[in-house]
Amino acid sequence: MPEKKYSTLSLKWDEMQKILRDPILLATIILVGLSLIIFIVWPLYEVLFQSFINDQSGSITLAYYREALSHSENIQVLFNTIGLGLFVSFFGTLIGFLFAYAEAYLKLPFKKLFNIIAILPIISPPFALAMSFIMLFGQQGFVSKVLLGIKNANVYGFTSLAVVQILTFFPVAYLVLAGLMKQIDPSMEEAARNMGASRWHTFKTVLLPLLTPGIANSFLLLFIQTAADFGNPMVIGGNFNTMAAQVYLQAMGNYNLKEGTALATILLTLSILMFVLQKYWVGNKSYVTLTGKPSRVRELVTDKQTLTIFGVPCFLISLFIIVLYVLIPVGSFVNLWGIDYTFTLRHYVYIWNLGIKPIVDTTVLSLISMPITGVLGMIIAYLIVRKRFVGRGLIEFVSLLSLAIPGTVIGMGYVLAYNQPPLILTGTGTIIVLSFVFRSMPVGIRAGVASLQQIDPAIEEAAQDLGASSFKVFHSVTIPLIKSAFFSGLVYSFVRSMTAVSAVIFLVSASVNLLTVTIMSHVDVGRLGVAAAYSTVLIAIVLIVVGILLFLLNKIGVNISDVQG
Amino acid sequence: MTVASVKIQNLKKVYQGIKGKQVVAVKDVNLTINPGEFVTLLGPSGCGKTTILRMIAGFEIPTAGDIYIGDTRVNSLTPDKRDTAMVFQSYALFPHLNLFDNVAYGLKIKKLPKDVIAQKVKDILAMVGLEGMDTRAPNQLSGGQQQRVALARALVMEPSVLLFDEPLSNLDAKLRIYMRNEIHKIQRKVGITSIYVTHDQSEAMSLSDRIIVMKAGQVEQMGTPHEIYAQPATPFVADFIGMANITPGKVTAVNGDQLAVEFLGITATKKNNGKLKASDPCKIVTRPEGLKLARTGTIPCQVVSSVFMGESQDYVITAQEQKLQVKEYNPITKEVFAAGEKVFLNVDLDSMHLI
Repeated sequence: MPEKKYSTLSLKWDEMQKILRDPILLATIILVGLSLIIFIVWPLYEVLFQSFINDQSGSITLAYYREALSHSENIQVLFNTIGLGLFVSFFGTLIGFLFAYAEAYLKLPFKKLFNIIAILPIISPPFALAMSFIMLFGQQGFVSKVLLGIKNANVYGFTSLAVVQILTFFPVAYLVLAGLMKQIDPSMEEAARNMGASRWHTFKTVLLPLLTPGIANSFLLLFIQTAADFGNPMVIGGNFNTMAAQVYLQAMGNYNLKEGTALATILLTLSILMFVLQKYWVGNKSYVTLTGKPSRVRELVTDKQTLTIFGVPCFLISLFIIVLYVLIPVGSFVNLWGIDYTFTLRHYVYIWNLGIKPIVDTTVLSLISMPITGVLGMIIAYLIVRKRFVGRGLIEFVSLLSLAIPGTVIGMGYVLAYNQPPLILTGTGTIIVLSFVFRSMPVGIRAGVASLQQIDPAIEEAAQDLGASSFKVFHSVTIPLIKSAFFSGLVYSFVRSMTAVSAVIFLVSASVNLLTVTIMSHVDVGRLGVAAAYSTVLIAIVLIVVGILLFLLNKIGVNISDVQG
Repeated sequence: MTVASVKIQNLKKVYQGIKGKQVVAVKDVNLTINPGEFVTLLGPSGCGKTTILRMIAGFEIPTAGDIYIGDTRVNSLTPDKRDTAMVFQSYALFPHLNLFDNVAYGLKIKKLPKDVIAQKVKDILAMVGLEGMDTRAPNQLSGGQQQRVALARALVMEPSVLLFDEPLSNLDAKLRIYMRNEIHKIQRKVGITSIYVTHDQSEAMSLSDRIIVMKAGQVEQMGTPHEIYAQPATPFVADFIGMANITPGKVTAVNGDQLAVEFLGITATKKNNGKLKASDPCKIVTRPEGLKLARTGTIPCQVVSSVFMGESQDYVITAQEQKLQVKEYNPITKEVFAAGEKVFLNVDLDSMHLI
């Protein structure tokens, strides 16, 4: 008897029944889908739409692109962005590799430092290093003016920007590569050595091929971050302008919103291209994850020569970075940087008198968005990993896409989408909370997805089999099982919201202002001491809140240090 | 507790495989499981047995066909609305809950009073031999104990149907036999309708009222353990259940309900199963333990290999250019033949079976 052929559609329909017969699940999927459409897709659509539609006639036009690209300045900016991206990604990955190798293979005494180096960029304003750079090498710089006696040193431009970005972003490459290296089973390398390969030959023929996808991955991740970086180019880019900053300058500075949308679309295309490349091309090529947990701990290298070759640069770079970060609180207590280094509290007094509101606003809004992000992120992770339904791939793509969308693009999208009915949110705290939620959610989702994939789906099936509805299963089984990912999502969401700048710079208003934006404007007018004081306050709040959270979590027995994603 | 029957009609499950290829996991299966019966779905991996179980539980949606528990058609019910309880292969204990809360989980959802729950959990834990371990976490229990918790958690729900998905495959050999006997005892005691999925024939033989042998999504044979072993319907069943020699033969004459069949150079008389005519080719199933080697006998043969297994001497022999396995139990008390020896093969005609 020939087998009856079923159409793909009818088989998919069968699978859909699982969702359709479960109203709570169905409602959740619809709500999640709608929220992603309204708060990610729609703003992006608005940017695209505005860039192609003539203001007066309403017809489709390429005029804004023609206009934008007719300025040689904008072409230059585009090349700057790509060139800087390649440069920073290359050296960032290289340094990240160096650190990862040292971490995974070498017996070095100061490896604890690496953790600090990896965390510092996350908990401080994204342009912190640019500020420190100005304090060291600027016109009033400690190195340039006091030590070297250079007058009118010009710190602004490509070199400083590239160095600052490399130092800010290389920890991403370090974390990705160190994670991979730790997953490689040492017995593979031992097998190579056993067959007569030298350490260098083993590195070349075993380790490097295994890591190639990871290297490509971190290169693309760094490119995406560099291209999206707004704070550093604004602070230290000088005449060397990049797309992310140019979008903002065109739209808000020159009031040429249309040309801004055209530039934003170009930048968005570039970022999404890299994201798709990273997620769907490189992302699928990893061999390493297949082997899972290594069978044994790796015997660390103690050979003096190797330790020196890798250890010295790692140590120097770490030291330099820590000095740069320490400069910020130091600068906040100094009377007038570059001229008068006496101790003072006047910057803090100034903050107290003038502007405690941004501090309160930022903290409150970040705290509000924290639980929303956490819960929504876990729901989406659960749907992505555990449920099969039409549009699942799309939900996954869109929710992770916001990692790749440059903040200035989505910020502009929010302005365009929510300044008219049906949703008027411009100038409110709500719009900022929404931007916080959808900007910081992907990390929680990834952590959730990673933990869910390690949990036997039968456990949730057992709960359902015993009579639990899908809602009950989610809160009585799923969430407790992935609580580490859930809480790390919470912590990360708070930290990221506190330090966000690129999207929210479009959204702040007279009624709601944020710390990072305030700091930038103070840097802009040269009030470095005040900026440093605000930054110190910001870092202090982050550390205090995170410290309290970790303490509470520790009390209830949750350890979030080992969460991936 | 209601003891329900399970009826499966024209059940079919097709999966969308990779590259648009469709995988038929279950093909038009019809089954009726009587109230209180213990039925095993037995077959190699990928034969569709687990898929059937998961469709009964509600985790998979049938592509076609109906499933009835008692008189209720359950196709459109979610797993939580079905009166089934499953014992999972991986046990699927809730790692964040202690033993008591694991077992009480379903009862709490039923919103039973606290004291009732406590009593039920206590009783069931006593039944599976875990009394007094209420506060242990699952990871503080041994594999066998976890298995009992999984069983208790399902039993305490007093479901109409108990489903077992290869529950013993994660245990070591000795414990597996022990737990097999426990499950058997408990099931007989509570008299619950049970469907048990396994690829282990000894589990199927020892537990079941009825075995359903499956192959490639279809039912190959249904019957009591005795029927399945003694009268396998197909070479597949013969080979899958125990060891079997399948030798070609030929029907030489039919005489009423008796027929004469020729194989390995001898002629034997067997009961006709109705399908075979004179001069039809057929297959003869013999079990290794139904064959004997001796210095004298009917079929000349040569020993190819002879291995001492302790409880038995396992031979491979050739007779009439056919390779056969022969198993002699308790070899210590018997004459043992070495590889290369020319001896005779004697067939126990009662234990041979015609396909």
